[in-house]
Amino acid sequence: MSQSEHLLRKLPNDIGGVPADRIERTDHVLEPWEKRCHALADVLDFHKIISTEEKRRGVESLGAELIGQLTYYERWVVAFANILFQKAILTPDELAKKMDQVERRPTE
Amino acid sequence: MDDHDHSHPHPAAADEAPPEYYEVMETAIRELLIEKKLIAPGEIRRQIEVLDSRTPALGAKVVARAWVDPGFRARLLTNGRAACEELGISFYDDTQLIVLENSDKVHNLIVCTLCSCYPRPVLGLPPDWYKAKPYRARAVREPRTVLSEFGTEIPEDVEIRVSDSTAIQRYMVLPQRPTGSEDFTEEQLAAMVTRDAMIGVVKVNFEHGINS
Amino acid sequence: MAKPFPTPGLNVVKALGEEPAFKAGDSVRISVRYPVGHYRVPAYIRGKLATVEAVMEPPAVNNEEEGFGRNAGSRGHYFRVAIPLTALWPGYAGSLLDGLRIEVFETWLERV
Repeated sequence: MSQSEHLLRKLPNDIGGVPADRIERTDHVLEPWEKRCHALADVLDFHKIISTEEKRRGVESLGAELIGQLTYYERWVVAFANILFQKAILTPDELAKKMDQVERRPTE
Repeated sequence: MDDHDHSHPHPAAADEAPPEYYEVMETAIRELLIEKKLIAPGEIRRQIEVLDSRTPALGAKVVARAWVDPGFRARLLTNGRAACEELGISFYDDTQLIVLENSDKVHNLIVCTLCSCYPRPVLGLPPDWYKAKPYRARAVREPRTVLSEFGTEIPEDVEIRVSDSTAIQRYMVLPQRPTGSEDFTEEQLAAMVTRDAMIGVVKVNFEHGINS
Repeated sequence: MAKPFPTPGLNVVKALGEEPAFKAGDSVRISVRYPVGHYRVPAYIRGKLATVEAVMEPPAVNNEEEGFGRNAGSRGHYFRVAIPLTALWPGYAGSLLDGLRIEVFETWLERV
């Protein structure tokens, strides 16, 4: 099987049984934006705007490289953006402009 | 998640620091969806309250009730969700709950190898290690080694049963009630039950009850 | 309590797929195939022999379709199946008793 074929056949999150390190009992208190992100995911699922399963698929389709580099909730928020574009709920331009606006906002 | 596991956030920014890229994206998406009236701001606020209200203390209450009330225990093992709802613990999503009872013959362990399925309505959000590669990859392949890394040794004549979530069923372990706790009140019993015991990586420790 | 109303000769035909194809105790094999983009059957169980432990109720939306936004319809039966860890992992070092429990949709199960 070619390397590219393997990447397609086995999703980056399908890791049951693969070699891995010793377990470190890591945990952290969620940042406020991470908690908002989790709440947003739940609300999107309640309305089936983005179901939990679509979110999982959206995370997988980020590909191994991005999945490896983003944190848990960073993956979610990027997946939301992609899925909302795919569903024609948002446009890439609209999100870029809004992000620009949010970024320029004075922080309190 | 193949090689890295950034379950931890980037270093926390100081309060006055500008929001980071992904936080900006989250805010922008949320505000656009609110402007389009697809979601309401109150829904996010309310769901944060819902999430904050779900902690392992709820699961501990369920476990303690099952230990003192055989009728409840039977209902819990038949339909975990319905039994939790009896205690006022609602399921805000579409998930169901299978409660797995530990005994002298069986020790249960829960995992989600594909993502991070977890009984959030009853236990709150999972710890980072539960979502990270080492636990997800190894729990189904070498559960006894994984357990020993948590300080838990299970005798060879006890069956280890690993449940891997793939669908809408969620799992919670009903740990064994420690011997010597016969005179404990339900509240004292609940105080001994830890999150990790309900994941199945540790047993309920009698000392924990005495000290708490 | 009233006696059940007798229903001799009543012929109720069930729709295709209305009844689960397997029952507790049945031997099944997990299919070997490679969907692109999204799946909920981890690679490590594919091709393995399993025993049906329970039929899950109620039937649920096939989550591999749900992943692409098909949130309604296609409800299917799914089953909690048991696989010994010694069957999953050659040279498994733990006890022969140790096992996996996992839910698999009917579309991924073959009768043995």
